[in-house]
This record gives sequence, structure tokens and C-alpha cells, in this order.
Amino acid sequence: MPLLEIKNLKLDFIAGDKSLRAVDDVSITINAGETVCLVGESGCGKSVTALSIARLVPTPPARYVGGEILLNGRDVLKMSKTDLRGIRGGVVSYIFQDPSASLNPVFRIGNQIKESLKLHRPEKATDEEVIRLLKLVGIPAPESRIKDYPHQMSGGMQQRVMIAMALASEPKLLVADEPTTALDVTIQAQILDLLLDLKKRMGMSILLITHNLGIVGDMADRVAVMYAGQVVEMSPALDLLRRPLHPYTKALMNSVPKLSSNLQRLSAIPGNVPTLGNFPSGCRFYPRCPSAQPECANTMPQLVEVEPNRWVRCLYAKSL
Amino acid sequence: MNLLEVKNLKVHFPVKHGLFSRVKAHVKAVDDVSFTIQPGETLGLVGESGCGKTTLGRAIVKLVEPTAGSIYFEGEDIAQLSGAELRARRRKFQMIFQDPYGSLNPRMTVGQIIGEAIDIHQLAESSSARQKRIMELLKAVGLDPIHAQRYPHEFSGGQRQRIGIARALAVEPKLIVCDEPVSALDVSVQAQIINLLQDLQQQRGLAYLFIAHDLAVVEHISRRVMVMYLGKVVELAEAKAIIRTPKHPYTQALISAVPEVDPDSKRKRIVLPGDVPSPINPPSGCPFHPRCPIAQAPICQVDVPSLREVTPGHWAACHFAK
Repeated sequence: MPLLEIKNLKLDFIAGDKSLRAVDDVSITINAGETVCLVGESGCGKSVTALSIARLVPTPPARYVGGEILLNGRDVLKMSKTDLRGIRGGVVSYIFQDPSASLNPVFRIGNQIKESLKLHRPEKATDEEVIRLLKLVGIPAPESRIKDYPHQMSGGMQQRVMIAMALASEPKLLVADEPTTALDVTIQAQILDLLLDLKKRMGMSILLITHNLGIVGDMADRVAVMYAGQVVEMSPALDLLRRPLHPYTKALMNSVPKLSSNLQRLSAIPGNVPTLGNFPSGCRFYPRCPSAQPECANTMPQLVEVEPNRWVRCLYAKSL
Repeated sequence: MNLLEVKNLKVHFPVKHGLFSRVKAHVKAVDDVSFTIQPGETLGLVGESGCGKTTLGRAIVKLVEPTAGSIYFEGEDIAQLSGAELRARRRKFQMIFQDPYGSLNPRMTVGQIIGEAIDIHQLAESSSARQKRIMELLKAVGLDPIHAQRYPHEFSGGQRQRIGIARALAVEPKLIVCDEPVSALDVSVQAQIINLLQDLQQQRGLAYLFIAHDLAVVEHISRRVMVMYLGKVVELAEAKAIIRTPKHPYTQALISAVPEVDPDSKRKRIVLPGDVPSPINPPSGCPFHPRCPIAQAPICQVDVPSLREVTPGHWAACHFAK
């Protein structure tokens, strides 16, 4: 049984009397010990999908319209508040993009980590355990650092504290929502190395959300690419990077400059990312797609397995 | 002749503390930086946050006052100019900013935003000439002339960045300082703006100082690249040379840390320990020595390495670079 199985998830945001579909028929599975990357641009629904795993999207304005989120076989969408409290920060832990906004500025970091321990492993809510966790995430001199306030630490160190806090409950799944976007590249390399190392040592699964395709190759076993609320391609990471199948994935990979390439001109994707409520009918990528056919404007393609383990949402996936 | 020549530029910010706001220390945001930009050239500037790259860009267009040093623009030192004299020179150098949301006045239409620049420098003789110029500029950056009637909030991030570029172009500058112009944009839109900047450079012979933290973007757009660390230039060379054969250990680590799309690349990642130290109290000797994998005692802790020409056209500030 997979650790997490999101099946045909549909989520609307209610705005006035309109209801806007932000997540449309998204299915993702994560096995134990696996790292899955969720890639997409702003507004594609990747964060909302990830937050849904612990039902952290406020309802209203959101509304779950359909689908299931099976965590260890139990549907999160049907859980009671008490059950949810157990999985939030317990089975599933989160780290976010901006650690300085996620930490409480008026509490010492040691106390904030201990708070997570009290909730999920009360017998271990001690200074020794906090120090062990800080050591685990590579914070030097943790004995003196537990008395620090968040503002006394750098961005990279704050993100390490967030990771320590997330690990306090020994989660089965760590959801990392753009964990390195706010950090410099050298610090990003440190944090990614740390995540890989912790995954190996603790045997947890990671759902890593990013817009940076470069991170995918270093981190992921499998990748799901999202566009305008839908998964458009899902593949083993190396296959996807070597030979993307969906026109959007291809275009995205061609539009980022690579180090030491002799490219004179980038191949830009025309137009803009469609905003919520303005998704085109038919295939959502067709107005920007270089290989669009008249058919694409009317027929919404389904996510189909075109090769073993490679799922693509494109009417012409086989002929491209 | 050099379009821009910066000599020993320093920008220090006082750190005030205590009852009478006494100056306790200085943040040496830019510390003794020298370089040149030729007409029509793109010089890339990379570094991590807090290294002083934005301050350097702002000092060149005189949005912050330099503490010492000179900035020669077409042979004339603008470092000490102010008021009307500076405003007249500003026509020749403009800036585009990172945040396309924060850098446009939300209460002005796009036409007013671009027209304001034309008015300040009195570049249009009549209102019809002014209108014609605005239309031309909008077309040049890939927008529709009818967009002149609209307000910034009606545009996406990429389109707003185009408006910012049109505003900078309105006064026909020779140099544009681009401060992280694509980092706030979606990946699929970044390439549009990079291509636009390159097209405009070819058509108009513009020079750019292109500030960014994304090395791949900088390599793509620049002829030469300059790397900063803690307020100092640590390496300066042709873009290809700096990416393929970096001489400074910091540049080597920075390049190796860039996540790569190509899964078959065999590049080895050098993970630097620790954080960038505080620029208020930078380390003695070489500012990079506490994190440097090849630092040797005592030379690196004592002697500040000067930026020297290691191979022709390739400058590095490291005792061991060769």
C-alpha cells in the first residue's frame, strides 16, 4: 500500500457566487521512502494540493468537491478534527518557503521545537531531545543555540530549525513547499544535502514542491508537473529530464538557460500563465502550445499512461 | 573609450546605536570596487544576498551616495554631482528593478508612467509627438499601444516588467542597470524578458549591468561576469571563462551549487560550510577564508588578496589562483 494516495482530488475556491476550480482531478501517489517532486509555476495549484494532504486549506473559501486523499489507507477528507490534529505535524510535517515567517518571533527556538515534541512525543519533550534534533539538522553548538530567538539566526539556520521542528514528530511524510527558494544557492545546496541525508537516515518520504527543474534531478525519484490546476505529466525523474513528453514540460525545460551552453537565444513560451478562473477550455496549455492542433481547443485531454510509468495529459502525446 | 569606469568605489553605511545614535560601526556594503563597462556591453554581476551587488548597482545610478571613489560616465566623474546637474546626466543611465509590482505607481496609467520620463527630460516637442513616442516604446517592448490607457494592476508580472523597461528606454539611455529583472517572474516568462533585453541591446546599442543571483541566466546574457563576496569583487572574467574555468574557490563553489537540469552531468557539488559572515565585522585577511576549502594559515587570515590578472583578461582575488 502506498503511504499517500491522492485520487482525483478536486478543490474549488468560492469567490462571491462563483466557484473557481484550483485543483482539478489531481492524482498523485507517494510510496514509503520515496521522494516525489511537484513542479509548476505560480498559481498552478501545487501548494494547495500539498496543503490538502493535512487538510490545511481553510474551508471556506475553499471547498473539496471530489476525490480522496488516502494517508496510510485512511481518507483525510473524512477525518474528524481530533484525528486531523494527530496527523498534522505528526504523520505529515511541513516546511515552507519563508522560515522567518513560519517561526514565532517571540519564542526561543528551543521552546518552539519542544512544543512540537509535547504534542506528538510527550515523553521526549526534553532539552536533550531538542539538542539531538538540532544536531541532526547540522546546527553548530546546539546547546547554546536553543536559547536563541529566530531573528538571531540566518535564513539557512532558520530553515534548519524548521526542519528540526518538522522532524520532532518522526513524520512518515515531509512536505517541503519551496524550501530553498528564499535561500542563496550555496545555502540551498546545504539544505538539499541535509534533506537527502535525513531521508536516508529516517526512512521518510518527501514531497518536494519547487519551480526549479534543476532541483528535480538532484532530489526526486518521481516528478509530477502541474499546469493550471492539473497534473500534465508524471514520470520517473530521470526519464522526464532526459526526454520530457508533454509540450509544456518540454517548453519549460527549453526556456531555462543552462550553465555552459552555447545557446544564443532562449526559446521563450509565448503568453502568460493563466490565472484562476481564466483557464482555457479544452487543453489548458493549447493557447501557448507550439504543437497545438484545432482539436486541442475543444477536447480536454486525460492523463494517460503512454509508456510504462509515464503519464501524460496531451491528445497528441504519442505522436509528439 | 569606456562608457563607465568605476574606480575604488566604496559605499559604507553607518550602524547607529545607543542614546545619541552614535555611529558604532560601518557596514562595508561596497568596499573598493573597480571595473569598466564598454558601450553596448553586458557585464553580469553575481553574488549571494548581502554581498553588495544591489548597493553597487544603485550607487552607479546615484540612488545611494558613494562614500569614496569615482564613477566616470563617458569620461566625466558623476560621483559628486547632485541636483540639476545629476538629473541632466541621468538621462544616459537608467535602472530596472526586481519587483515589477512595487516599482510602478499604481495610480498612474502606463501612458503617464512612460510620459513622465519624457516630460522630465523634455524629449517631446508637442503632445502628439509625446503620444507617438509612448506608442513606439510600447511596441518596442512587445505591448499593444492601447495598453497606454490601462493601470499597472491590469497586467501580469512579465508585462509589468516590460512597462518598466519601456520607462527606462523612454529617455534613450546608454546604460541600464538591471537589478534582478527576472527573478520575480515565472520560469516560462523569464525567457521572454531575457530575449527582449537582448533584442533591445542589439537594436539600440545599450550597455547593461545585469545583476542577478542565477548564474545560468547571467552567463547567458553577459559578455563578462563579475563575482562579489562581502562587498569585494573576487573574480572578473569573460562569461565562458568564469563558468568553465573559475579561478576563485568561492566562484567554484557557487557554480557547483547550481542545481542542474541535465541528469547525466558529472559535476561534483562543493558544499560550503557556514553562512556569509556579517559585513559589519568581516573576517580578517581574505573575507572568504573561514569557508574556503583551500585556505591556508597564516597567509589567508592575514593578507587581503588583491584582484590580480591571473591569466589575460581573467582577474581573481585569491592568493592561490593560477
